[in-house]
Amino acid sequence: MHINYWGEIKRDSLGRAGMGTLVVLALLAIGAPIVSQYQPAEYTGAIFQPPSSQYWLGTNDVGQDIWAQLLYGARTSLLIGSGAALLSTFFSVLAGGMAAVLGGFGDRVLMRAVDALIAVPPVIVAILAAAYFRPGASMLIILLSAFLWPGGARLIRSQALSVKERMHIAAARTFGSSWPYLIRRHIIPDLGPVLTAILVLNFRRAVFMEAGLSFLGVADPTVISWGKMMQQALKFSYLEVWKWWLLPAGAALSMTIAALTFTGFALEKAINPRLKK
Amino acid sequence: MLDIRGLTVRYSGLPVLKDINLTLEKGESLSIIGESGAGKTTLGLSVMGLVEGCCEGEILFQGKNLLSLKEEEIRRLRGREMAMVFQGVEGALHPLYTALDQVAEAIAVHSRKDAGSIRKKALGLLLSAGLDETTACFYPHQLSGGLKQRALIAMALANSPEILILDEPTASLDAGTKAEILALLNKLAGDRITIMITHDIHSAAYFSDRVAVLYGGRLIEQGPTGEVFKSPLHPYTRGLIRSCPDLSTTKDLQGIPGRMMPGVTGCSFHPRCTQRIHLCSLDIPEPVVTGGRLVACHRGGIVPLLEIKKLSKIFGKVKAVREVDLTLYQGETLALVGESGSGKTTLARTVMGLLKEDGGEFCLEGANISKRDAFFYQRVQMIFQNPMESISHRMNVLQAVREPLDINRPGDEEANNHLVRKALDEVELPGDQYFLNKYPHHLSGGEAQRVAIARALVLEPRVLIADEPTSALDASIQAKIIKLMLSLQEKRGLAILLITHDIALARKVSDRMAVMLKGSIVEEGPAGKLLGSPRHQYTRLLVNQSESPAKSMIL
Repeated sequence: MHINYWGEIKRDSLGRAGMGTLVVLALLAIGAPIVSQYQPAEYTGAIFQPPSSQYWLGTNDVGQDIWAQLLYGARTSLLIGSGAALLSTFFSVLAGGMAAVLGGFGDRVLMRAVDALIAVPPVIVAILAAAYFRPGASMLIILLSAFLWPGGARLIRSQALSVKERMHIAAARTFGSSWPYLIRRHIIPDLGPVLTAILVLNFRRAVFMEAGLSFLGVADPTVISWGKMMQQALKFSYLEVWKWWLLPAGAALSMTIAALTFTGFALEKAINPRLKK
Repeated sequence: MLDIRGLTVRYSGLPVLKDINLTLEKGESLSIIGESGAGKTTLGLSVMGLVEGCCEGEILFQGKNLLSLKEEEIRRLRGREMAMVFQGVEGALHPLYTALDQVAEAIAVHSRKDAGSIRKKALGLLLSAGLDETTACFYPHQLSGGLKQRALIAMALANSPEILILDEPTASLDAGTKAEILALLNKLAGDRITIMITHDIHSAAYFSDRVAVLYGGRLIEQGPTGEVFKSPLHPYTRGLIRSCPDLSTTKDLQGIPGRMMPGVTGCSFHPRCTQRIHLCSLDIPEPVVTGGRLVACHRGGIVPLLEIKKLSKIFGKVKAVREVDLTLYQGETLALVGESGSGKTTLARTVMGLLKEDGGEFCLEGANISKRDAFFYQRVQMIFQNPMESISHRMNVLQAVREPLDINRPGDEEANNHLVRKALDEVELPGDQYFLNKYPHHLSGGEAQRVAIARALVLEPRVLIADEPTSALDASIQAKIIKLMLSLQEKRGLAILLITHDIALARKVSDRMAVMLKGSIVEEGPAGKLLGSPRHQYTRLLVNQSESPAKSMIL
């Protein structure tokens, strides 16, 4: 069956909304220095300013521009999220693919390891690990990936097992193709939609976990992040100013996660025709 | 005893017969078969000393070399010791004399008896040849074709010759007369040496003890009639047999590609042979005698391409394939039939290396195959049941058909594209840019299966394993695909292992059939014979089930 995944997602209104939001977010993050006149760490001199034409979302306790912080926070979120999504999906493909191709004993060992990892509560361990390692951006990506890959690996394994039995793969084998060729030309392309779905799912979870960790203050304190913004804003909840500080960060985070969720829904609908009305 | 040694006949320098060696004992009947122009009649004429070319070698009869005799000496033998019934009943009788007169004349030439007893003897001969007193005195134009042939036979037997040569005695006769004439010849042959020259293998099968196959002036196969027709060794002999259907023939007619050409170096059949190797165009194959049969072929006759020996495949506790032995010969179709779950597909997949065998071995062209590598896959290819699934939906026609080439011979894209177009042309699909850019979901079922066949053929394999190639297609397309496969077999000598549950289909396609039940082959044999008189009860059941109740209602 030939499915035009891109067309399916475009036709879905949720999918369109999700993708649109993501694109806008990415553009804002990339164009942060153009869209904002301040640097996020720059002291403007005026503290606790309400939103005005000079400071679009006001300033914080040390006089930094919140709009600038929000934009640079999007950079962190998207960077860590996409990095962790890519890395964890790579691990998933590696483990799931290997389990499917090896079969037998190797399959059992890998899958039991996955089961064990899924049983570990990620937040507690992440907090402990983050507190212990004091991770920077790249370390955080690796740490998040370590928690994200097992779920994907399971999916990939089951898909790869069914793809492996597809007739066109059998046909390619009867032309004398090697396994690397099969994986490159047939299995990965056939797994494409599933891989994208896993990427989106992991992206969402990674964004959320990153925000959570920085909210708890176990991430790198020098990096501007939505989680850290919310945590700092909450310290000033006794003043009136907190809402200009806390709400934008919370809304941005919610929007990102919602956009990813919508995209994921649309994708799933495209992959699984039974979900179609 | 007639002994022909190293006979070569040339007509104005051009050899028509080359190095013929034949020995015939008293009482033996031999049929010489071959297509027109093979030199059959020349061989008969040279024994009679009537050939107008220049002869070399020896024809020994009664201790004399007929070729070295003077014309006068051989004239005395002709008609008395050896006689020939010429081809064509129309011109052979003199229109101004009655049949009786002409037979009497043939006796009178070699006899000094009085006219009365000669006429009596002539009448006796005509009567024994199947004419009666009235018709014996008819002029040729009053006689039917069959009666003329009978008169000619009576004439040839006038002096009860030792050697009787019959040149196409039944060629222009209808089936009933043909049968009568053959029965008559069988009766009259007695202990003579009879040589029947014919292109009709049914006459040959009925009449003779031995058969010699002549092609391009050379004897390419010789042996006892039954064995030669049951299991021909030379590809040409098989081609001849396939071209002549009888009522038990189940497979569609298949011809021999190309036509006979004079002045060919090496084996005279090699330009038309589908299993030729380089040597065939260089050297003339020596006739080799094995088990009373003679064959002149560099490859020792029809090659067994794929041999499966004691193949087993076990899934857990289920023995899907149990010690199966199968041999697939060059240019033949072997149908593997059986109900679903009998292990047919497992067998095919195991042969292709998609499943690992649990026992047994394979030979490809005589070489033992321990692992499936490029050597194997370039010679053995498979067509799958559902073309829509066996072609990746992500590949267009060009990419799909080129894939085997990309894997086996990557690099020269232009040459590969050319091969793709050639393969598409062979399966009767267009090779234009528009079609090449189509994706499987743009194709109809028949087109997609053709693409799948083109993809399997692009490596020019010798063996094609077709696993239910038409079960996903509707009936009219099935017919086209099957015809296509047979024409490819005729053109390229493909050996096809056809896996199907459809016995009626298998019957039209296959030379041999193997019936599979619960992983074992329960019966195997020529398709016509196996279906005509099935021995195993399961085969009988399958045949009964295939006799469609709907059809018996229509007819």
